[in-house]
This record gives sequence, C-alpha cells and structure tokens, in this order.
Amino acid sequence: MPNVPLPSDPRRRARRRRDITLALAFLAPSLLVFAVFVFFPLGQAVFLATRGSDLFGRPTVSVGFGNFAKLLTPEFGGVLLLTLGYVVLVVVPSIVLPLALAVPMAQRLPGMRLFRTAFALPFAYSVAAASVVFSLLYNPGTSVLNWVLESLGGQGRAWLTDPSLALVSVALVTVWMNTGFNLLVLSAALAGRDEEVLEAAVLDGARGPSMLFRITIPLITPSLFFLVVVTTLNALQSFGQIFILTRGGPNGATGVLVYSIYDTAFANNASDFGLASAQGLVLLLVGLALAAIQFGIIERRVHYQ
Amino acid sequence: MRRHSRRRASALALTVSGVLLAAGCAGATGGGSSDGERVTAPGPEVLDQAEGVTTVTFWHSMGGGALGDALAALTDRFNEENEGSIRVELVYKNSYDDALTAYKAAISSNQTPSLIQVYDIGSQFMIDSGQTIPVQEFADADGVDFDDLQPNIAGYYSIDDTLYSMPFNTSMPLMYFNVDAFEEAGLDPDNPPRTLADIREAAEALTETDAAGNTTRYGFGAAIYGWFLEQWTAGAGLDMCDGANGREERASEVLIDQDTQVELLQWWKQMIDDGLALNTGRETSAAQDAFTAGRTAITLESTGSLGDFLAGAEGRFEVDTAFYPKVSSEDAGGPIIGGASLWISGPGHEPAEQRAAWEYVKFLSTADNQAEWHTSTGYFPTNRAALETDLDREWRAENPQFDTAVDQLEATELTTATQGCLAGAMPKVRQLAEEAIEAALTGAKSVEDALGDAREALRGEMSAYTDSIGG
Repeated sequence: MPNVPLPSDPRRRARRRRDITLALAFLAPSLLVFAVFVFFPLGQAVFLATRGSDLFGRPTVSVGFGNFAKLLTPEFGGVLLLTLGYVVLVVVPSIVLPLALAVPMAQRLPGMRLFRTAFALPFAYSVAAASVVFSLLYNPGTSVLNWVLESLGGQGRAWLTDPSLALVSVALVTVWMNTGFNLLVLSAALAGRDEEVLEAAVLDGARGPSMLFRITIPLITPSLFFLVVVTTLNALQSFGQIFILTRGGPNGATGVLVYSIYDTAFANNASDFGLASAQGLVLLLVGLALAAIQFGIIERRVHYQ
Repeated sequence: MRRHSRRRASALALTVSGVLLAAGCAGATGGGSSDGERVTAPGPEVLDQAEGVTTVTFWHSMGGGALGDALAALTDRFNEENEGSIRVELVYKNSYDDALTAYKAAISSNQTPSLIQVYDIGSQFMIDSGQTIPVQEFADADGVDFDDLQPNIAGYYSIDDTLYSMPFNTSMPLMYFNVDAFEEAGLDPDNPPRTLADIREAAEALTETDAAGNTTRYGFGAAIYGWFLEQWTAGAGLDMCDGANGREERASEVLIDQDTQVELLQWWKQMIDDGLALNTGRETSAAQDAFTAGRTAITLESTGSLGDFLAGAEGRFEVDTAFYPKVSSEDAGGPIIGGASLWISGPGHEPAEQRAAWEYVKFLSTADNQAEWHTSTGYFPTNRAALETDLDREWRAENPQFDTAVDQLEATELTTATQGCLAGAMPKVRQLAEEAIEAALTGAKSVEDALGDAREALRGEMSAYTDSIGG
C-alpha cells in the first residue's frame, strides 16, 4: 500500500465518509436482525436474571445476584458436569465417525455417490422426528433394538430407564443426527485437497496411516476445527431429544443445562424466569469459555493453506 | 493470513450468536399489571343487550384425534344453535402445561381468553390468579344448582362449598389386565387382584422367560406417574397434604413419606428387582405400549386409556378392567378424580362475553352432551343423568369394561382424602414425587430417603408458592 491517504486530503476524507456510510447501510439489515433477535433478548435475560418472579412469571423486585447465588449448589454443579460429559460424548464420535466414513468414501469408486447420499441423510431429519424414531428403537417395553439383540442371542438393555445408560442413548441420537452434516463438510474438505500435495506425498513414500495422519488430516484441519466448534455448541444446546426421550430422567441422568432452563421456566407451572435466565447466562458463559478454549488451543494447530 | 482472520471472526460470530439465542430463550415475558378486582357474574340480560355476535375464545388441550374431534363436534353444534348471538372459537393450546404458560403470559398483557381448560392440579393456582369468576356465581345468579353434577367430581373443584370451575373431562385411575394371560397362567380373570400382595402373587404366575433367560412377559408394569402415588394414598384413606388436603386451610406440607407410601415403593422396587415388574420410566406412553404389546399383563392407567387399549389389543388378547388396587386389604379410601375443568375469565372481559362463556359451559355439561363426550372419548361423564341416556346405556352394554369406572366412582365415599390435595405447587408435587419414585426404584436412594428428601424439598416449594402470591 504505497499511497497512504493523508487525513488532511479533503477528497479522500469525503470518500472515506462515503465508504463508512455505505458500509453501515449494507450492515443495517443484519444489525437490525441481531438487535431484535440477539441483543435485545440478551439484555432482557440479564434484566430478568436480576429479578424475582411473581405468580405469573412477571419480573418483580431486584434480587441482585440472588438468582446466581441460588445456582451455587452441588446440584447445579452436577448439571454443569453432566452437560460437559454429554458434550464430550457427542462431539468426539460426531467428528471421528464421519471422518472414518468420509476418508474411504473419498476414493473415486463407482457407487460412492449413493453411499455419500445415504450417509448424509440424517442431516435432513428434524430433532423431533429423529427422537420419535429412536424412542421406538429404545422403547422400554417394545424396543426394536432389544428385539434385534435378543434375536441374535444377546441381552436387551434398558436404554432410557437405566440411569447409567440413558445419557449415552441420548448422545447416540445426537451423534447420529450430527453425522450427516459433518460427513458432508468433511467430504467437501477431502475433495478440496491439493492434488499436487497428495502426489508429492505419494512420491515421498507416504502410505496408509502415515498418509492419513501426516497429510490428509493436516490438510483438512480448517474443516475439522469448524466442526469441533459448531458441534460443541450444538451439543451444548441439545434439548429436543432429551425432552422427547427422557425428560431429564432417570434420576436426572440426562438433565443437561438447557433442559434445566426449560424445567425452571416452563415445566410444571414453575415460571421462575429469573432463575431460568440466570441459568441461560451461565450457558452463555460456558459456550463462550469452550469456544475461547478451542480458539486458543486447538486453532493453533489448524493449518490454513 | 487474511483468510485466517476472516474465518476466525465469522466462526466466533456464529459461536456468540448461537449461544446468545439460547440464553435469550430463557427470558421472554412482558410487563403489565394485575388487579385482583372481584367481578360478579352477569345475568342472562347482558346477552340480549349485546350488539352483534359475542365471541368466546376457548383455550383447550384436547388434541390427538378423538378428543379434539369430539370437542369440535360439540362446539359446532353450539355455534349452530346460537347463530347470530354467540360464536365459540376453539384454540388448541397444546398440553395443559403449555396452555397455562400461555395463560400467564396473557395475564401480563391483558389478553386472557374468555374460557380456558385447566388441569385438576392447576385449580389452586387459578383461584389465586384472581382472573376468573367462579361458575357458582353464575349458577347463583340464575338460581340454578349443580345437583346433576356427580358429587365426587364436583367435590374436587369445590372449595368452601363454592364450585370454582366446571368439571369437563374427568378421568379416574383403573387397573387394566390381559385376560388371555390370566387364563394361560391359570388365574381367574373374574377375580382380579385387589391389593399389592394379590398383584405380586398374580405376577409370579404371569411372568414368563424364554430359553435365553430374557423375560418375555412381566406380571406388572406401570408408569412412574405422580398421579398414581396420589391414588394409592387416597385409596388408603390418607390425605396427601396437610390442612385436610388443603381443603380447610392452605397446605404447607406434602405428606409423601407415610407408611403406606413407603410400603408401596418397597413393594414396587422388590417387584422390579425380582423381575416380576417392568420399569418403563416416567413416560406413560411407554407403559401403555408395553401393555398393548403383551409385555406386561397388569397395568395402571386412567379411564381415558381404555379406548386405546381395546384398539391396541384387538385380535390379539382381551382387555378387562378392575378397581384401582389398594396397598393393603384394610384400606377403606378410594380414587381421586382427575382431568380438567373450565374456568371463565373475569377481568378484562365484557359481561356479554363472560355470560356467553357460561352458556357454552352449561351446554357442554348437559346430560346428552356429556353422554356424547363420554362415549366418544372415554372420559367419565360429569353429569349423572348422562349415564341414563340411551346413547350411554347402549354403549356400555357393548363395552362393559367402562362399567368398572362407573361402579368405582359410585363406591367412593367423598372425604378430604378422595377429594385430593389442593395446592398451588401441585404440579411440582407431582414432579418431585416422580423423581422420588424413580430414585427409589432404580436404587439411587433408599425408599425412606427418597420420600423424606422429597418431603423436605416440597416444603420449600410450597412456601415459595405461598410467598409468590404474597399470602
């Protein structure tokens, strides 16, 4: 940039002002949408989090940090730990499984397109539809999954009513749902690998595992990183599958943070919007913290071409 | 490098907006004011004076095919009969919980419906809301009484001899059993179990396992449903709450850890541990599926499930009904009615609209209309005369399983125990009861601890509710 504009140049200043005006005009629609759907609700949540709630859930007097103080219990700590455990149970397989599928599917073999479409299909499912299907598979009395297991000589399991298994069962639904989208992203990333780099690697003797771990995965790290961040946030906000399959039970085994917010605000005529908003802000902080950790630690290893 | 920072920025923006949305969801309420002004019921003249058609909006929770269709059919007939003066608009508000949540928001913005259907356990809340006119006041203004109302049903919705809301869809718990399984196991279907000990004995005969050791049929299986615990308690003639079940004074304590309830849960847990009962969790539909699939031979459900059970088992096995069982044979109580009732809004509504809502409520409660409601949905008729109509008689002759509910209700003496607990925090009572049962059945806590902890937690919930109304 050889021509650095001098602030005293009136023509350049006018152009600069025009640019800013133009930029603002283009940004206005999205800023408006953000204001209405993000900033205003956030402000409202902060306001409500500092208020008590009356019989009808209307904000009453200021309670300061009282709602947050109410969250300093072992129970809520348990909810946070459970939520993090659930995120790990979802994110790790949601990356590994699609990767394991995408790498072989990147081969140019006849019929691969069919597989790719089939494996990507869960992407088109809504949470509710998928949860209803899985509720039939898991049904405590008439489980299709157990029928298959028992026909093969195995033992059926109490997928949703065994407290030690319920979280895994719910995570499995989420993983299944994530697989479709994540597979699409990874397939696209694999297709976008630089042919020259691959050829050079082959000439240098890279084969099998070393090809995968030293060449392929580093080349697609931008996509992998994107998926880690997005999948983590999705997992953190899981609600539909828990609402439909377990309602947070058994014994709170699937009572993750968003379900806890719902339970406080809407279930059983509760209407404690103050406490629920405080939990919502905790969710915001957890999400930001996880994202910050990911950007701080993982992104350093991301290789952008 | 530029590409790097742009990606980074957009990913971060995505992150932030996603989480913000989730955080924002928790806080959506409006402002507004509520004034507990007492509105008296207008007489019939207000409708004559009203100009044009008076519209009544009715928020209900009768979805799912048969229920919604039956309500729509009755409402269409009412609208035809009152063409030119009253028009009722049905608004399906999803579950009872959702309807109540919407109602609360509507109170804040002064947009309550003319009429709302509220579940039994929301009754105290509705009274405390100060938004409704007791149906008793309309009846008093008209000089009519509620003699036709089935007394146990009226009993639930009456406080200090005032009927606050009109019972509409009423159900009762029953015991359902698989007749074919009983016969296979050498049990007498005409003499079904009546107590916990009876059920266990029957279950020992009914439970079957295959060669691989998998249980193919369990003797017993019922949902972990707080309502059932209330029923066992009432069956033993015990109050579930203090203050005479909240009927004489506001309840402050939930009597959830009495000997009867402890005995029940110990029995239930033992049944599961011994492989005689299947735990299907809190979802009532899962317990229903297990019964219709023949996986469980005895179950507990509301009268409202009979139609589904008959349809689900058709061609495979015969379903019969019996009185809701007792914990022990000495128990002299009986079941509490459940379901929902209709509340007429007062503040913010024109007298003509209030009156029109009352006319509609009366219409739904006539013998003929309750007979139609009973026979098309399985809900128990609130009007005693409905049972004497030809429609109802013929239908029960074809479906004798429905007689059990009629006999059971007639045999139940109205006491504070069988009136059921009236408390604002009742939805929470049911939720915590379910959590306690679940904790006990899965062995996470001992029965005594689970119930004791629930009682402790509920003490806080009850006083938090009382605080929230400033009482």
